[in-house]
Amino acid sequence: MSASQREVTLQDLTTQALPGRCRAALDAGARMQFMYAWFPEDTGTPELRYVLHPGSGSAPHVWRCRPQSDCAPSLAASAPLLSWYERETTDLCGLLFREQPLPQPLVLLPGTASDRPPLMPGPAPFVRYAPAPHQLPAIAGAAPEDVQTMPFGPVRADVAESTQLIFYYIGEAILHYHPQLFFKHRGMEKRFEGIEPGLGPVLAERVSGVGGVAHALAYCHAVESAARCEVPRRAAWLRVLLAELERLYNHLHYLGYLCHTTTLKVGEAQGKYLEELAKQANCRVSGSRLLRGLLVPGGVRREPALGELADDLMQIERRFQRYAELLSATNSHLDRLITTGVLGRQLAFDQGATGPVERASGIERDSRRDQPYGAYAELPLHVAIHDGCDAQARQQVRIAEITHSITLIRAVLEGLPEGPLRSECRPPALCEGLGWAETPRGTAYYAIHIGSDGRLSRVKIKSPSFSNWRVFPYTVHDTNMMDYAINEASFGLAVAGCDR
Amino acid sequence: MALKVLPLWTLYGLTQGKATTRWRGEGDEPGQRGLFGMPRLDPGKCQDACRTCAQVCLPQAIRVAAGPGGGRVSVDYGRCVACQLCVDACPTGAFSSSSDWAFGSRTREDLVWAQAAASADGTGLKREIRRVFGRSLHIRHVDAGSCNGCESELQALNNPYYNLHRFGVFFTASPRFADLLLVTGPVTYAMRGPLREAYAAMPDPRFVLAAGTCAVSGGTNGGGYSCGTGLDGVLPVDLYLPGCPPNPPAIIHALLMLLQRMPQRVSGGQIAPNGARRGDSRA
Amino acid sequence: MPELLRIVFWSWLAGAVCALAGLTVIARGLIALGAAAGMWASFAAVAHGTAVLSLPISLIGQKVRLHDAPEALWFIGFGLLPAALAVALGTPIGRARAGWLFGAALSLIGALGVFAVQNAYAFLIAWEMMSLGGAVMILSEHTRPDAGRRTLYMLGLLEVGAVAILLALLLLSRHAGDSVAFERFGRDADTLSAGTRIAVGLLALAGFGAKLGLLPFYEWFPGAYGSGSGATGAILSGVVLNAGFFALSRTLIDWLASGGGEYVLGILVTSVGALTSILAALYAFQQDDWRRLLAFSTAENAGIAVTTLGASLLFRAGGEPALAGLAWTVAVLHLSGHSLAKGGLFLSADGVYAAGGSYRLAQRGWLRSARIIFGLGALFAAMSLAAMPPQIGFVTEWFTFQTLFQGFHLASLGGRLTLALAGAGLALTAAVAFATFIKAFGIGLLGDGHGPRAPRIALRYEAAVLLLGLAVLGAAVGMPLWLHALQSADVAHFGVNAARAMTSGWLLVPLTDTFAFISPSLLILVMPLLAVLPLLLLLNGRRHAVRRAPVWYGGLREDPERSATTSLTFSNAMRTFYSFIYRPTLDTAREHRAVAYFIHKLEFGHDVADVFGPVLFDPVRRTVWRLAGRLRALQSGDLNFYLGLIGALLVVILALTLR
Repeated sequence: MSASQREVTLQDLTTQALPGRCRAALDAGARMQFMYAWFPEDTGTPELRYVLHPGSGSAPHVWRCRPQSDCAPSLAASAPLLSWYERETTDLCGLLFREQPLPQPLVLLPGTASDRPPLMPGPAPFVRYAPAPHQLPAIAGAAPEDVQTMPFGPVRADVAESTQLIFYYIGEAILHYHPQLFFKHRGMEKRFEGIEPGLGPVLAERVSGVGGVAHALAYCHAVESAARCEVPRRAAWLRVLLAELERLYNHLHYLGYLCHTTTLKVGEAQGKYLEELAKQANCRVSGSRLLRGLLVPGGVRREPALGELADDLMQIERRFQRYAELLSATNSHLDRLITTGVLGRQLAFDQGATGPVERASGIERDSRRDQPYGAYAELPLHVAIHDGCDAQARQQVRIAEITHSITLIRAVLEGLPEGPLRSECRPPALCEGLGWAETPRGTAYYAIHIGSDGRLSRVKIKSPSFSNWRVFPYTVHDTNMMDYAINEASFGLAVAGCDR
Repeated sequence: MALKVLPLWTLYGLTQGKATTRWRGEGDEPGQRGLFGMPRLDPGKCQDACRTCAQVCLPQAIRVAAGPGGGRVSVDYGRCVACQLCVDACPTGAFSSSSDWAFGSRTREDLVWAQAAASADGTGLKREIRRVFGRSLHIRHVDAGSCNGCESELQALNNPYYNLHRFGVFFTASPRFADLLLVTGPVTYAMRGPLREAYAAMPDPRFVLAAGTCAVSGGTNGGGYSCGTGLDGVLPVDLYLPGCPPNPPAIIHALLMLLQRMPQRVSGGQIAPNGARRGDSRA
Repeated sequence: MPELLRIVFWSWLAGAVCALAGLTVIARGLIALGAAAGMWASFAAVAHGTAVLSLPISLIGQKVRLHDAPEALWFIGFGLLPAALAVALGTPIGRARAGWLFGAALSLIGALGVFAVQNAYAFLIAWEMMSLGGAVMILSEHTRPDAGRRTLYMLGLLEVGAVAILLALLLLSRHAGDSVAFERFGRDADTLSAGTRIAVGLLALAGFGAKLGLLPFYEWFPGAYGSGSGATGAILSGVVLNAGFFALSRTLIDWLASGGGEYVLGILVTSVGALTSILAALYAFQQDDWRRLLAFSTAENAGIAVTTLGASLLFRAGGEPALAGLAWTVAVLHLSGHSLAKGGLFLSADGVYAAGGSYRLAQRGWLRSARIIFGLGALFAAMSLAAMPPQIGFVTEWFTFQTLFQGFHLASLGGRLTLALAGAGLALTAAVAFATFIKAFGIGLLGDGHGPRAPRIALRYEAAVLLLGLAVLGAAVGMPLWLHALQSADVAHFGVNAARAMTSGWLLVPLTDTFAFISPSLLILVMPLLAVLPLLLLLNGRRHAVRRAPVWYGGLREDPERSATTSLTFSNAMRTFYSFIYRPTLDTAREHRAVAYFIHKLEFGHDVADVFGPVLFDPVRRTVWRLAGRLRALQSGDLNFYLGLIGALLVVILALTLR
């Protein structure tokens, strides 16, 4: 029984009731997840959806709210993590939020003009762009002219995703930091509109390339919940295998890159080499080094080639154990990590940190266990946590997760049930579904709405990096430039998923 | 026992042995076993009035014109993301999975399936490139809105397995030192300007490589309100490399092709079996 | 030449009178011409030296006579070039030109007196005139609301110094049989007891050190300089500083002669000099005001000169008169070269202020709008202060190190150790000073903030800066020639001709050419050859078409003004590294909306703490205030009470006289 099919509670709220309900829910220990707007076909007026978990192990609640005259109260003051979703909704759906603390464009860069809200149904929007200065905090005080504004990017050194990093810099010390994201905004949510639900995984795999399996999985879960279809047991187990293989190569890459920033050269080479071995194993299993092309709503598309995986895994594990021991005991490496990029528990909760980042700040939450899906409930799942709150804690959580992933994969290989790979999964017209999956970077959510033609009419993607990028800047203020790269690497952020 | 001293890492590195493989240059590089490349088309097997493959092709790489038989099917590998859905969907096996990944091409036309095609070769260019670059190349990479899949494979180029530096090829931070602009992604509206700035900042002679299907044609992600459809019309492209993402040996092959150290292997949307272009083997 | 010096004195006096009468143009002409003539006269006289000139004034029955030693003439000559230019240009701060000119004249007359008068009374008066002149200059400019307080602080510290000088002179005078004539002071100096020698030496160090900005007095410099103009700074860092050092050197070398306690004194003087230069250099680097930066740098250079003076004492005590002569000559060379370069930069700062209205170091692209002569002059001056070849600052710092390195000739471990440590300290100083003047020149003049085009600097400033820049270069290139002028002084003080041993043909050597050598004279011939390669490359590049692309900012056209390196970003790393000295404070307040996460405004301020202010001067100042508060009881305002006080005073006087 997979959790995607567990009932999602849907509640209607008025805009007036929203702030009070939000505060009451948070006081009762709820956790806001995300928010989005969509345009139902019947009314044509926008509708807001707030997704939250009332308790740590509970199924999601969804609040439905129809704002009057395209305006709703902002919930950012009580749930700060909603601020970005509100600003995004203003950009893409044209809705306004009263008392939004920083009412600036988010997803559309400053200087962008769209003739109509891009996600509004109807003719294609036309977007014009003339770069304008970013809206950064003003500098005042005794010596404002001594602060240097230092921009990096969007084209940065080495092979890196495009994003602009802006520092308020006073010589080694960073006063303030603003990552100007969304240079890579591709309008992926709009790309889903009007396609057959069965083709969706091809797009979902390409929202965040290195989280493709989990994204496609969350998407499939959403479609399956809309279609109320069951995934065959063998397929559910294989999905766990694919998702954990993805976690494996991502975390190995993470360690290699972290060593790069602490200039541990051999560690970097070894981490990247292990990543390569994992990718080659992926390639033999699925035909794709990034594990693409296997997931489909209702199951998996074909039988993966698992013959060599046990040997590949053993080779990786043998090398990894020694590597992890070294990383956890090398002073020059640890000195750079300990106390770097401290992310306190409250900040992590308020801004909605997710995945290993959150778990390294002592918050024990993992959707694989708390909102279980697929075959995880049947398998030996461990949730790694650490309460160090710093870069070292984030490294240790990832090291532990690699071990746990290998255990999971091995358990799948040993106990893989026989049976069909795929069941029929066609969502009916005019329905909706919510799905999630734990990517290597945290929880991804997909909310889908099916139109009257049986095709996708709205897909909302909540990627983990969207949350973690929002958290990250607060760990950079008042730190040193020489720690910045290490701090950023320790978060393991991806831009593509955030920008979509 | 914990190793706490840095120099012992060197020893540890040495005990791990040599990871770099030999570059064979024949399209069957080690470590790529099992990889699905572009699907092959055998138009002879096509049924009349069948449009199944085109219907499942999200990036619209497959187009089917009206008419009988397979002659009406056209495949643009510059749009293909190798999702293999056409292979799954085809009722007759006209599309079959292959490991054809070395799809670097100097012209966009060579990426479109054709019964027979000859492409221009770059002998004139060869001497110029050798004269200017020797055997070395410096690359400035620009992510113009990719999904991070291409970056993942580009970053893999510097791992010990592929060890790009052995070819004399390096990534550089500033476009001022770059010979080649390697672009990934379908070019979002916000990255169009920075991309042009990067190109403008490069000294002549300069080359542009469209890496990945997105940069070649927009792929699945291109178009829409905030994306372009690849580099055509934005920058003059010297080399197209479709693939979603192109695997590291495919990128290496394309780079060596640009340096005239490897021949182009694709022509008319098909890869010549012996490593040389089909046109060459005929001659 | 004495006649010319007499003219100099009278023209300054006349200038001062004219200034008081409000005839500023005439006053300026008279003082500047007087200074130029004084420079001319000193350089002309330095070769033959020692003429005695009596002025028709007498003080307390003592005739004022000018008796110029070669080093005094040398100091006057080097100090008066920037002073003449500074007076000719005048202060750029318009309010009280007349007052400033009066102060300048007073300072110059005082300085001349310090160099030349030959008795203690006249010396003290000249010294006070010099201090007062500086205060008048700064007060008349009055650029800051708290300038008055800062100037009083400076005067207060100088008066503390003056009391020390008075005590030192009293001790010396008593030893010389209650004579106040300086010619008597040095005569029986070798019979001074070790205790007296050390006491007099320390008093002189404190007294003259207050003017030189030695530890702990360097902290008055930036406050006082920072509220004046560059022209004031050029005079204070030039001829006035030289006068202070001359007086210190005369006390330590001539009046104390060789004898017991000299060794200890040498160690103390060297240490104070080296520590001063380290601390002052570190603080100079942190300044973002032209005048404050240059002021700290002045203290740093005085520290270097005092370090070599201390080395000279150590060498003399260790029986190495040749090395002692070398060290002393190097100190003289260092300060005289410094006054040229420092004058050049102070006048550059004035040019910037006159055109832009601010002394702040900020990237405004001054050189882009200025003529090349300004850039060249300022570059030479900055190179010299950063000790870059072939400028005079390089020559003298090189000599400084060559002198300190020869500490191994000393027999005593303490002396060796002191000189080795001083050498290490000065190496740090040199590195920091290098960065400081990269910052001053780079951010203050060269840096192009791409903002609104900086206004053009007036030609008169540019010409003055060029003149001083060329003087800096000329002093270095012609050093083998100029050094002849100090030969007689060396012989007079140490009995050895160190200055002659410092040259070997066109080479400069530390007494022997087997140890080390440099030659700015030859370097200036060779250096253009080094430019040949870049020039050839440039010419070769002309063959290709040039395509210009905007500065690479990661793909966006950023606002280069906001992205430009600021004075703080340049120096903050050092501030962090040496935080145990600077004890820096950063105040960042974040204004937010709704919750702390939504930051919309940053308030930023920063500072570095003084070393001695909080622990030494502030308690003293508080004590003085408290005492003043108690003494206020005397000011009752009651006439009868005052009459009573006068009566009591008369009784005391009568009791003392009738004793």
